[in-house]
Amino acid sequence: MSEIANMIVNTYMPEFVLIIFILINIFASLFFDTRFYKLSKWISLLGIIGAIASTVNLQIEPEAYAFSGAFLTNIYTVFFKILILIGGFFLVLLSRNMIREKRDRAFEYFTVFLSGLLFAMCALSTTDFVGLYVSLEAFGLCCYLLLSFTKSPDSTQLTFGYLVQSAVVSSLFLMGLSLIYGMCAQVSFDQISLYFTNAGILQTQPQILLTFSLILMICTILFKLGIAPFSSWLPDTFQGAAYPIGAYMSTISVITCFGILAKLLMIFLNYTFTIRIVLISLAVITVLLGSLSAIRQESLKRIMAYSMSVNSGIMLLGLCVFSVYSLSSVMFYLFCYVFANIGVWSAIIFLFNSAKIESIYDLRGLIYNNPYCVIAFTIVLIAMAGLAPTCGFVAKLYIFSAVARSGFVFLPFLLISMVSAVIMVYAYWRIIREMFKRTHNDIIIDRQIVSSKYILYACSFATVFICIFADKIIQICQFAAYSM
Amino acid sequence: MSFLSLIWLIFAPVIAAVFIMLPKFPNHQVKIRRFSKWFASFHFVYALLFLAFFDSSLFGMSYEKELTFFGMSWLKSIGISAKFAVDGITILLIVLSTFIVLITLFMSKIHIRTKHKLYYSMVFLLESAVLGIFCAKDMFLFFVFWELSLIPIYFLVSQWGNSEARRSAMKFILSSFVANMFLFFGMLILYYYNFAVSNVLTANIESLSMDAKIYPLWFQIMVFVNFLIGFVIRIPLALFHSWYPDLQSKSSAPVNILISGLILNTGIYGLIRFNMQIFPELFKLFAPVLMIWGLVNIIYFGALSLLQPGIKKMVSYANISTIGFVTVGLSCLNSTGFNGAVFCLIASSIVFGAMFVIVSSIEFRTKTTYITALGGLGQVMPKCMYLSLIVCFSAIGIPFLIMFSPKLMILTGAMLSNLDQQLMVKIAAFLGLAAIAVSAGYIMYFFYKVFCSVLLEQWKNIKDLSPQETAVLSTMCLVILYLGLYPMSIISVYQSVSSIILDILQV
Repeated sequence: MSEIANMIVNTYMPEFVLIIFILINIFASLFFDTRFYKLSKWISLLGIIGAIASTVNLQIEPEAYAFSGAFLTNIYTVFFKILILIGGFFLVLLSRNMIREKRDRAFEYFTVFLSGLLFAMCALSTTDFVGLYVSLEAFGLCCYLLLSFTKSPDSTQLTFGYLVQSAVVSSLFLMGLSLIYGMCAQVSFDQISLYFTNAGILQTQPQILLTFSLILMICTILFKLGIAPFSSWLPDTFQGAAYPIGAYMSTISVITCFGILAKLLMIFLNYTFTIRIVLISLAVITVLLGSLSAIRQESLKRIMAYSMSVNSGIMLLGLCVFSVYSLSSVMFYLFCYVFANIGVWSAIIFLFNSAKIESIYDLRGLIYNNPYCVIAFTIVLIAMAGLAPTCGFVAKLYIFSAVARSGFVFLPFLLISMVSAVIMVYAYWRIIREMFKRTHNDIIIDRQIVSSKYILYACSFATVFICIFADKIIQICQFAAYSM
Repeated sequence: MSFLSLIWLIFAPVIAAVFIMLPKFPNHQVKIRRFSKWFASFHFVYALLFLAFFDSSLFGMSYEKELTFFGMSWLKSIGISAKFAVDGITILLIVLSTFIVLITLFMSKIHIRTKHKLYYSMVFLLESAVLGIFCAKDMFLFFVFWELSLIPIYFLVSQWGNSEARRSAMKFILSSFVANMFLFFGMLILYYYNFAVSNVLTANIESLSMDAKIYPLWFQIMVFVNFLIGFVIRIPLALFHSWYPDLQSKSSAPVNILISGLILNTGIYGLIRFNMQIFPELFKLFAPVLMIWGLVNIIYFGALSLLQPGIKKMVSYANISTIGFVTVGLSCLNSTGFNGAVFCLIASSIVFGAMFVIVSSIEFRTKTTYITALGGLGQVMPKCMYLSLIVCFSAIGIPFLIMFSPKLMILTGAMLSNLDQQLMVKIAAFLGLAAIAVSAGYIMYFFYKVFCSVLLEQWKNIKDLSPQETAVLSTMCLVILYLGLYPMSIISVYQSVSSIILDILQV
């Protein structure tokens, strides 16, 4: 018994805490009336804080396994888990106004919300393909449920479209998995890796099969990230979803997918070089396509959808030149992306809740009404665009330098993506420009709404703060990347 | 001098900007203006102290300082640190920048009527960014400030310019970002391949150099051209110049002074710091190209200046025509030319700052900038006319005024230049001599049209310069006279630095 308790404390504690609080949420929904809907928010916040606090006790050096090797904890997974939990913490607070309107379903919402976090964390920690598939599917299910939460006809239709598409794509994942299994009769990452490291095997096995199965599996993840050929679902789905759900999708799902993608690439990338070129081309096409589409948009949600796609493209660029340096740069980029992205979303949510602002033209002249909010919004947008005094710049510098040092082959791709990132700067700058325009009609801001505003201030402060203390975080990222 | 810290010099304006933006700070225009002026004056005096204690016989950087946060340096794990230092050239540019900002703040009162908090904090942010560009010892730190300087410019132009200002500001920002990406790309490759060769991960400008023997020529040219693209758009050289007159004609008067006095200097500074010091071999290769390019600048923009209908565009074309002299001087590759070029850069900031002060006071009174609508203003504005006479003469390069010695040095330098294409350089020098005549043409045309011809009926009642404007203009005229009479007082500050740079170039 004590062994199991030890195992849980050492490796499984954050997930365990989350499970407990999910159960508490479910039971609370049985016993408490709709009037106590706020309770669900506090339970979730408590659960997330407890999960973050319990990461302190995790055994990360050396790495620890649980459930007879099926569940892994090391600094790499803990890094991603903490990112997910931080994102989840902010997102719970951002959901506040949406929940107030749908208070009868508050407990339900937060149960699904926490389960999403839980499955995302499990997907990062799992050590075999079956566990990965199950966790990803479960995480996907949570996403569908959250997307259809608002129940407008629009959202139901778009969610269904997303559901069908991702069902197709996840069947591709299964196909790739079965091909791999057919080659080496293993599902565990380590065993498969060992199998392919054995010299001479690749001569007997057709390499094209390996590449093909890898492409099939990566497709699923690229789909969730919104990389170029699979990016068409993103803006429509975001358009249909409620604002906090959009923030949820663009934060939690990006963190999870990059955590998994890095693992997958680490297993297979040494054996297939061509896939790097394919991936890096996809990344460049995504950055170019996403930013070109973003500059024509009016809806803030759609701009953020393309922004997620462009940022994923830039991170993919860093990920496919696979080295410790580039992996740590991607992790640092993710860290900055979480704060900048949540900052922008919180500004959008604040403006939507307090003044029903949905398109960028509604923002006109906001500086005259709410100057400090506008300045904070400008700072987080600048961080998203990757300009100077914010963490976005450091992240871009780091990721681009990682690409630059990995060989002449990647330099043209780098240059193209850098220049097309400027187009995305214009897309963000359009928002800033509208806010500073002179206007005659007043925007009426509801002063009651504070929580999203304070998150906006906190994130804008954090982006500048991370820029100043970037060195410490980069060291942690490098340490975590080494542990891979 | 322990109280002279570059960190304070650079970041004090940021603190002032934040202080102005604080909700507690009274949103009252007089208080904001007074605070800004006092702050800028103290800042200028502080910068002057740096110059006063500067040891000009020293051959390296001085006042070195690293910015650390509780003992941690910035991005140390990827070889980037926030180190600042100044040498003879940058100390002058710093003092010049703080002076220009002070002048701008004195001129801002009559032109800036709205959003005072934003305006003054943006001016300070711009000042801080420009000082950072001059002081940064690290390549990426340089780039941070380089990009940071664009954001205030956007707001300064778009918020207080005329109705079309927003569009040109956007155009400038985006084209600059694209050019910056090329610059950034060049920096990234340089940073990494320096690491590949020397095995030290560093972005310190002094420790980077492209040795011709190690890298293939095509690679060096690629990096060099990337840097050049980043810088020529700021200098600006012909073909990349269209943003400058566009931006100047649409922004308000104090912002004109800022753009011509602060932003243009940074381009030339980058050219000296990066292209000359890191790629000495390639700079020798590209020097004839730059010389021709500069010559095209001088003559083409001089001619364009004559054709402009508005005085703002006229003065801005005259400004970038003068910047052409700087480029020619740099590409002579000898000490006379180089010293002249740096002096010319400083002189043009002061002279064209004064020109824009004149233009702004005329614009404020007549509410027009069309040259056909002006004329004979000398009859109603005698003070303005006499002060402008000094400024205009100095812009032409009349002896004993500021522009004379740099132009003379540049042309002498071009004559004595040891470049491979001897004949071409000599022809260029003669053409440059002719170009001075062109400059006399457009400046005197400006002066004649505005102050001397027939006074129009509607301008009979306008008033002469206010005491504040008179003080500003006469201060600038005093500087013009002083530096015209004692040019060595400036040149001696950076002589030792220029000798080092030319030593690296081995000429």
